[in-house]
Amino acid sequence: MRKAHREKVKSEVTGRIIDRHTKRAASGGRPIEETVNESLYHERERLKTSHTDRDVADRQFYASIRRTLPHASPSQCKQLFASIVQRYTDQVTGRFNPTVYKLATSVLPFGLSALLNSLSPKRLLSRLQDVPTLDDHVNVQGEVDTLRRLQKQGTVIVAPTHSSNLDSVLMGYTIYRMGLPPVTYGAGLNLFSNKIIGFFMHNLGAYTVDRMKSDPLYREVLKEYATVTMEYGQDQLFFPGGTRSRSGAVEAKLKRGLLGTSIGAYRNNLINRRPNPRIFVFPVTISYPLVLEGATLIDDYLQRAGRSRYIIVDDEFSRLERWIEFMRGLFSLDLQISITVGKPLDPFGNDVGEDGESLDPRGRPIDPSRYLLIDGEYAEDDARDHEYTSALSSRLVDAYHRDNVALAEHVLAFAFFETLRRESQERDIYRLLRSLDSETSLALPRVAEEIERLLGELSTMERRGQIRVSSMVSRGDVDEIIHQGLLSFATYHTRPVIERRGVRLHVGDANLILFYRNRLDGYRLLDAPNVVSNEWRPAV
Amino acid sequence: MKPSVSVIGGGSWGSTIAHLIGLCGHEVLLWCRSAEKADEINVQRTNAKYLGELQLSPHIRATTDLSEAVKGVPVVFVVVPSKAFRETARAIGDLCSPDQYLVHATKGLEPKSHKRMSEILLQETCVRQIGVLSGPNIAPELCAGKPAGTVIASRYPRLATKVQELLASEIMRVYANDDVLGVELGGTLKNIVAIGAGMAAQMELGENAKALLITRGLSEISRVGVALGANPMTFAGLAGIGDLIVTCSSPFSRNHRVGRRLAQGDKLEAIIETLGMVAEGVTATRVAWEIARELRLETPLLDGIFRVLYEGMHPQTALVELMRVASQQDIDQLLAR
Repeated sequence: MRKAHREKVKSEVTGRIIDRHTKRAASGGRPIEETVNESLYHERERLKTSHTDRDVADRQFYASIRRTLPHASPSQCKQLFASIVQRYTDQVTGRFNPTVYKLATSVLPFGLSALLNSLSPKRLLSRLQDVPTLDDHVNVQGEVDTLRRLQKQGTVIVAPTHSSNLDSVLMGYTIYRMGLPPVTYGAGLNLFSNKIIGFFMHNLGAYTVDRMKSDPLYREVLKEYATVTMEYGQDQLFFPGGTRSRSGAVEAKLKRGLLGTSIGAYRNNLINRRPNPRIFVFPVTISYPLVLEGATLIDDYLQRAGRSRYIIVDDEFSRLERWIEFMRGLFSLDLQISITVGKPLDPFGNDVGEDGESLDPRGRPIDPSRYLLIDGEYAEDDARDHEYTSALSSRLVDAYHRDNVALAEHVLAFAFFETLRRESQERDIYRLLRSLDSETSLALPRVAEEIERLLGELSTMERRGQIRVSSMVSRGDVDEIIHQGLLSFATYHTRPVIERRGVRLHVGDANLILFYRNRLDGYRLLDAPNVVSNEWRPAV
Repeated sequence: MKPSVSVIGGGSWGSTIAHLIGLCGHEVLLWCRSAEKADEINVQRTNAKYLGELQLSPHIRATTDLSEAVKGVPVVFVVVPSKAFRETARAIGDLCSPDQYLVHATKGLEPKSHKRMSEILLQETCVRQIGVLSGPNIAPELCAGKPAGTVIASRYPRLATKVQELLASEIMRVYANDDVLGVELGGTLKNIVAIGAGMAAQMELGENAKALLITRGLSEISRVGVALGANPMTFAGLAGIGDLIVTCSSPFSRNHRVGRRLAQGDKLEAIIETLGMVAEGVTATRVAWEIARELRLETPLLDGIFRVLYEGMHPQTALVELMRVASQQDIDQLLAR
């Protein structure tokens, strides 16, 4: 984003918010002073426990507001409010630099692979031609051409599932490889403080999201920023799950705040008669054979601390040696990360056809702008728009489940876990996990039999379009699947997830078995009860 | 001038709704399938088959052109029998646009798919702003100018307000609710209890038994509703207990007559033949029974009525079995939240 442009976006964001609150106060709504007090309260609470370098300036800033507020006249009050909005906006705004973007997207993945190969310099020198690149390990399928085409006809929101902090890097890279312009992305503050990619993050299309900030006004700034940049035609990257899936399961419930901005941006585009007003939402499902932060995520899930530990600071993602291990696994085992781009949707959750036209449930073309009409005018209606976003959200969840790719690792973990569960007859998942240790084992043929049954069910579901399977799973060679699964599970994690000893398979890391098993949760496979996805049912 | 509201369906309830809207002074288009009936309404201002002598409001204009009744009309009421609902919805889907409101007043669940009428509208049209009208509303009483109340349920407050404007009058109170699912289920499942009430009346079981039936019936309706995601309080409202009381008290409804005939020992096929059509409660019983099995709910009353209807059990036997079922708590704690 050019500097002048960035300033324009910033003043638009602050202007709109100040305007909205002033109008609301003037028409008998909440007084500005109260909103300022609320911000003071939330920021003070946050600063009680947060002690980074950034916070020093914040403390001074809020102390001065607290001093001034009690004697402030209405117009001074408005100024204080404006200064908070401005401050939030400044903190959110990214510093995008196209040159660095190019460098980052082309060099970062190469750099990573070179890094790995530098571990065996001989190989690097002798077979320079064969330096593995990320391209060989990322398998992008689905509506890529549609994405490319519609990107020219409107503004695109790329909405992937979220398993790992690697997702944003991976998506940035994939979008770059597709030849698309960079996307705007709200990255968590912790990504910026990450030494490995913080530098790149700042200069990708990223803006900063501080999830420690609980002030509703701050959220409003974030949403407005997304709205304004969308109106300027900048494509967006949203993770509608809000946070990485702790359980390992495909998201069954999404956060609607950010998704809902698509309606606001579309409406503003229509009112301002912009040339390409339409907004297209592309569900993207990412399937990892191994998840970089898997161990930390599942522990967090099991501790049910998921809510309070919203931000995990010291996970595998911040440790260089874990990255190297992960990448080494990826390259040496020839593992494939699957990225499936789903069919586009409009902000109301309708299907979108090849040429960007919205379609009703029977495939008839419709005019989506009419969803926003009230007495002939494009207008806002919170209750109505909330319903529209709910519809979009549930269509995305369906797409994630449909486009989820069952990999050998998931199949092995699912069959293994469910056989253990049936044998122990323990219904409580925590007690079951506690009862499992490295002495717990199953005979190989037993697991093979279970996998055979699972493959049968998966292939039926795949035929019905309810899930996808990898080419290996599709081939259905049980031995090959077990072999691949065990190999992956022995490679990256500190302990093997499942381990073979003679003719028996032993539990290595019970929590991680659950984590990889959960990728197939919610589909009612093998008559297994759901662990996570009670909110979602496969469509019949 | 194009009317701002139309009603699809010239049956008893559809004509009554059009009439009530007309009485409020709004121009209303009434779509009927048959040209003769449209003529009768436009020329003689009667709908003799369903509403007898009643002089319909002069603000009603009948048409057989569905396109005229749907295209560009801001509020469209859909009041066709549940059997014809999907087909009608699909036809509306060819004509409607996303800014329109669709309000249905049809009780029932679709066999096999178990879909509610609002879900069918969502599947067959582009319209999202959907509402359901339901409550203790016997058409002849309303036509006679007697007071009543009804519920408009919608997730879209603006739609509910609009319907209140169109329908509320000196004889009609219109209450809003945002629990579409609960209101639809209340209106549908009470028909099952009505069949039971018919049996009880024929067997002369008395007023105590009627109260027992209504109360336990409501408890089962709530249990099924809550399991599917309804707000339990909805069943304490007009579309729940309100509708149930009126349906079980009135000896004229089709469901009630089915119950009576069953208690006389007649077979279901014979009853359907003489009634000329299937009472909504008969279909609803099968669908509700399947849902209750699927969700593993305890519904002894529903099971009894199901067995009488579909397994040829005599009502007397069903009654004996029901009285023998282990007594549950008077108030189901699962429903109080």
